[in-house]
Amino acid sequence: MAQKKNAVIVGGGTSKFGVRQAHLLDMVQEAAKAASEDIPGLKPTDIDGLIVATTMAGRHSSALNTAPLVVHRLGLKPTSICIRLDTLCAGSNSAIIVAKGLVESGISEVILVTGVEKVYMPQRWETNYTQLAVNDHDWDSAMGLGVPPPFFAMIAKMHMKRYGTTKEQMAHVSVVNYNYGVSNPKGHFSGRTLTLQEALEARIIADPFGLYDCCPLSDGASAVIIASEERAKAMSNRPLVYLRGTGQHASHSMSAGWPGETLAEWPHLKKAGEVAYKNAKLTPKDIDVAQVHDCFTISEIIECEELGFCKKGEGGPFVASGAIKLDGELPVNTDGGLLSVGHPFGASGARQSLEICRQLQGRAINQVKGAKFGLAHNLSGTCSQHTVVIYGKEPVK
Amino acid sequence: MAELQKSEIVGTPALNGTYIAEMDMWPFETPEFNRIYPFYDNLRAGKFTTTRCKKCGYVAYPPGVICPKCWSEELEWVELPQRAKVETFTETQAGAPIGFESPLIMAWLTFGEKSPLKHLLGRIIHCKEGELKEGDEVKFVVFNVPAHPIEVKKETKVCERVYYAFERVK
Repeated sequence: MAQKKNAVIVGGGTSKFGVRQAHLLDMVQEAAKAASEDIPGLKPTDIDGLIVATTMAGRHSSALNTAPLVVHRLGLKPTSICIRLDTLCAGSNSAIIVAKGLVESGISEVILVTGVEKVYMPQRWETNYTQLAVNDHDWDSAMGLGVPPPFFAMIAKMHMKRYGTTKEQMAHVSVVNYNYGVSNPKGHFSGRTLTLQEALEARIIADPFGLYDCCPLSDGASAVIIASEERAKAMSNRPLVYLRGTGQHASHSMSAGWPGETLAEWPHLKKAGEVAYKNAKLTPKDIDVAQVHDCFTISEIIECEELGFCKKGEGGPFVASGAIKLDGELPVNTDGGLLSVGHPFGASGARQSLEICRQLQGRAINQVKGAKFGLAHNLSGTCSQHTVVIYGKEPVK
Repeated sequence: MAELQKSEIVGTPALNGTYIAEMDMWPFETPEFNRIYPFYDNLRAGKFTTTRCKKCGYVAYPPGVICPKCWSEELEWVELPQRAKVETFTETQAGAPIGFESPLIMAWLTFGEKSPLKHLLGRIIHCKEGELKEGDEVKFVVFNVPAHPIEVKKETKVCERVYYAFERVK
């Protein structure tokens, strides 16, 4: 077998996230343009592979076979891969896992991974109604499970009961993430700060969640370039950021198959993390900066536990201690996370990976000093699947 | 269990009765579109059932056409417990999907050590906001949901449908 190549993330860009007056394909073009400005040495003709991650393109934009549409609008002529991929909220990080394999095996040299969602529809009810089709439709959705807050509210209630987690600890997550995101020019809530008092006094969405415990649904697109080490060196002088290890794990789709002892334990995330750490030849202690899937404040708390950043059950005190701030033990969601930047499902993973790329290249807006290793994580569905991607300034040896 | 009446609604409530399967909030329950239709027939008879593997004994939920443990096709229908305990719950006043009334109450249910089905997300009906408590016992209940049409040659067949939820044991 030929020598395995190293895959790197070169850079990328995003469209503005938010409630957009734009078509799905407008936003893909914006993200690709931002990626080309981020990597001046990149020419569209360099790109030999395309992976498009989206969930709602079919239903909301009548664009079921999305990849050729993106090819046409971006003027690409891919020859190694040209696909659309869907794992809901983990779409573009799943695409990055696929791209890693394609580059390492020599099938592709330069892949554009793009994630995009047009969530908002002419009538608001339709956006919520679509959510019935992203859960296990015939079983959990038929019980009324549509938008995610009620399910995650039950997770939060259980975590509070089992481990003593408080609303104030949860509020710390939103305060930290909003204040990271204030300077992110592309975020849904760019420029918006948040105080602990505002977070705690916000209107209730689903008890125990107030408004700021929940990320918004957003329209938006992201795009990153995954390339072989050789090709990356040819198009950019920035430090190389290697894809070191990945893990993805699912064990169920509906509530009857929940793998934890209670809703407060996420063993399927723990497993995905273990696989990624093993492949990356790293441990949780090695991670300098992380992007975890903060769809709700409680999610970030449980993710810090299951990914090994603190002990199980101690996620509440961990986030409230300031550990996740820029000068803390492990800065988390340094670009603002889903809570502040927003959440266009398929676009979020690449947005996270791009922030880790910038951190390891030393050019993030909220730069973690000397960051060498970074981790990105998505949960997707009704917390039914977990996706972990670990990056480093050196390849796995 | 109260006798099930014929559905008053045919079609998709969100579309004022027009039926578009892509906008359907309920399952296809008929043999024309689902091989696990006995589940729904059993619901009509007041039974909460699923498939058990005759080879390895595994009880799956939801039911299927092969066993998810050993992939055997030799399955049989078995009954599940109809009572469960509310572990935790959530009440939605605003933002329930069209077709579900408010408050929309969903609970995380446990069926006990001996049950092959351990947990389930269950909707709690016939319950006012603030009434439900953690630890409450609930029981299985079946009700009609909107019927849908199927084109059979030049005719239109109306398929009656049911679904299940849970209510408090008082």
